[in-house]
Amino acid sequence: MPLMTNRRRFLQLMGTGAAAGAMPGFVSRAHAATPLTMQAAWINDAEFAGYFAAIDDGLYKNEGLDVTYLSGGPDVIPESSIIAGKADLALTTPDTTIKTIVDQGAPFKIIGAQYQKNPIGIVSLAKTPINSPEELKGKTLAVPPVNVISVEALLAINGIDRSEVNIVPYAYDPTPLIKGEIDASLDFTTNVPFTIEQSGEKAVSFLLYDFGYKTYNDTVVVTEEVLKTKRAELVAWLKASRAGWDANFADTTAYPPKFASTWFAGTGRTIENEVFFNGAQKPLMEHAGGIFTMDAEGIDANIETLGRIGIKATPDMFDTSLLEEIKG
Amino acid sequence: MTRFGDHLATGVLILLLLAAWEVAGQLKLVADGTLPPLSAILLRLAAEWREYWPHVAATLYTASLGFLIGNAVALAAAVSFCLWPVAERVFRGVNIAAFTVPPIALAPVLVIALDGETARITLAALLVYFPTMTAALAGLRSADPRAVDLIRAYGGGPLRTLWLLRLRAALPAILSGFQVAAPAAVLGAVLAEFGSGARWGLGTFLLGSLGRAEPDRLWGIGLTATAIAGLGYALSATLAARTTSLNRAVNIGITGPEPETANEAPLRRALLLAAAILMPLLIWQAMLFWADLSPIIAKTPMGVIDYLITGKTAASAQTRLLAALAETVPITIAGMLLGLGFAFALALLSFAAPLLMRALLPFALVTQTMPLVALTPLAVLILGRGITVTLVITISVTFFAAFVVLAQGFAMIPKAAFDLVDAYGASTLRKVRLIAIPASRQWLFVAARLALPKALLGVMIAEWLATGKGLGNLLNQSRGYLDYGMIWTVAVVSILLSVLLYQLTPVLEWVGRSDRRVR
Repeated sequence: MPLMTNRRRFLQLMGTGAAAGAMPGFVSRAHAATPLTMQAAWINDAEFAGYFAAIDDGLYKNEGLDVTYLSGGPDVIPESSIIAGKADLALTTPDTTIKTIVDQGAPFKIIGAQYQKNPIGIVSLAKTPINSPEELKGKTLAVPPVNVISVEALLAINGIDRSEVNIVPYAYDPTPLIKGEIDASLDFTTNVPFTIEQSGEKAVSFLLYDFGYKTYNDTVVVTEEVLKTKRAELVAWLKASRAGWDANFADTTAYPPKFASTWFAGTGRTIENEVFFNGAQKPLMEHAGGIFTMDAEGIDANIETLGRIGIKATPDMFDTSLLEEIKG
Repeated sequence: MTRFGDHLATGVLILLLLAAWEVAGQLKLVADGTLPPLSAILLRLAAEWREYWPHVAATLYTASLGFLIGNAVALAAAVSFCLWPVAERVFRGVNIAAFTVPPIALAPVLVIALDGETARITLAALLVYFPTMTAALAGLRSADPRAVDLIRAYGGGPLRTLWLLRLRAALPAILSGFQVAAPAAVLGAVLAEFGSGARWGLGTFLLGSLGRAEPDRLWGIGLTATAIAGLGYALSATLAARTTSLNRAVNIGITGPEPETANEAPLRRALLLAAAILMPLLIWQAMLFWADLSPIIAKTPMGVIDYLITGKTAASAQTRLLAALAETVPITIAGMLLGLGFAFALALLSFAAPLLMRALLPFALVTQTMPLVALTPLAVLILGRGITVTLVITISVTFFAAFVVLAQGFAMIPKAAFDLVDAYGASTLRKVRLIAIPASRQWLFVAARLALPKALLGVMIAEWLATGKGLGNLLNQSRGYLDYGMIWTVAVVSILLSVLLYQLTPVLEWVGRSDRRVR
């Protein structure tokens, strides 16, 4: 079956779904908050603190939005939620999103970037440190299967043959690293060093970003259809979310404890871990133009990086016009 | 030895084993302290129970709904299959698929096609369906044929027979099905929570806790899941014990005959076979039609064929799939043979040393309900990331069901069979060799049927968590690439592979039978 039929049928489906959703939106906008659903990329942790702040402080409400927040997890592919119409926007990894646009003709647009610098990095113990891709040669590196694509890119960019690194699955538990069963793992550098230090070891890490893998992360992605029909709501969401992040970053230790009995209740993680996370992510997210900014330089870096692993990104996949609307 | 003495000895043995665990934990003997002492796990559990209960409540909710829905569908199906044997043959493909599907391959597909809550309940219900359906159907068919004739002679139709006789006769079997189904529902719920973005549930709690590198927390969650599963088992067992004593008068316990197929017209048989194969595809297509999803994410049977065989993606997809299968299939076959062998050895042990076995049983049960992801660090630290870890995980996934069947088989050998060898003063070992092993032959095939499809699940789990090879890894990597076609393909191929393994047993059985005839 040719892919074209799929795509046409897909666009039809999207069209009918979105039209039905948009009508009540226009009517009620003046009177009541418009519903907007966002799909996060992982379980509730500090990675999403700005959105929790914006919800709790009524920032979305002030913008006329009634935001529904969907948590993520290992089996949740955020892009699936927006294709299926379960969510209006999703926080995604740009490499997979762009690959899907290129390979499968998915009608996605990236309208903002939460992380200017992708927080994923290579974490190792300070007593056996690995400080550059070069030092990965001959070592065992644990990588979550979904991120293998990024590591392969890192190795390619740094001229290292993939066969020189023993890549094994990372099952979200740093114990094998702490016990020395593996030499390094790929994880959010904003997160796992805390656990390692809790267990009495010192951790070192480097960002993939700093070795040529210059991608955003938690890109804000919508379908073209939602972009057309809910543009005003999306602009409002960006504005309120930015305000939420600004409030959260005013003091990185302030908000996580506030979420202890709400957003962070029962996640199995500690508030100290979230505070560490929140502090560590601040420099990766901040930009002179404000949170979510996608400047020409950043977009070019993403396109160039992805091009090196054969993913042909183009500037039109990034739509900066909504961010323009919320400028200063 | 007296009954009381037996219990006492079992109790002492269990305590000894627990003490060994405690010592091993305290002295950090296992994998540099990755196996925590039991006391540390329990103390931590007690200190954190407030954090646990919303998760326990959520898991209970999902598991209970899955249990109710799965059982309702299973009972309705069993009654239909009993009334219309043709329906059973048409749905045979669906039934085998429901039994053999590796849950980790299905979970991502369910999360794509359904919303979170529905996906979780569906997975729990699906794992419940098969054990209850088979038990209920066997029970319904086990009604005493003389009583069936009696009702018929008085002018009662099939419905009357069903109501007056079959349902009552089937009750003990149905309840025994519930005993298997209850832990399955809990396992399904936890597994689905782990992946589906649920806010609450033991699976979610486990996922968040993994990053803390604190094995006592992980074991606490695992043992809580085990306790819930055990509770479900115990409740069903109690209910069964009560009801069975009331029903014993009705249930005469003749194994129900399989519907006669030998002298059937070949055309009819071929049609029914074709229907059995097409039915799962029809249901798959219908569900997607009903869910009304974009073809980008939801692949229909034709969509998968396009992706894998006719479309422009075919060449790359086939290469990756074949490479994965080449890694997965051989080790699956090795794993299932070892799992079966291990089950056989355990069953022999339970025959030769029932005391020791009764003490080991609770620990064996834990291996069935502990979420394997919680044990991964322990497994890789002890066993590494090679073939050994895959085989051990596969054995742990496969052996239990086979063991239960085999142990039951040994227990059902008539006492009289041993009288002669006893009279000649035979040792236990000799009795095993002369009587038990030959008598267990027919049970071995039943056990193999239960074990074989699970072997693939074990291998895929090991590949996903530890080795990063084969089908399990391909599935997870496809999520990273948003390769929806491959996600669906892996789900379909793993079901087909499991069905193939399942169908292998009748062949083995046939070989075994002809072998016996020659002798």
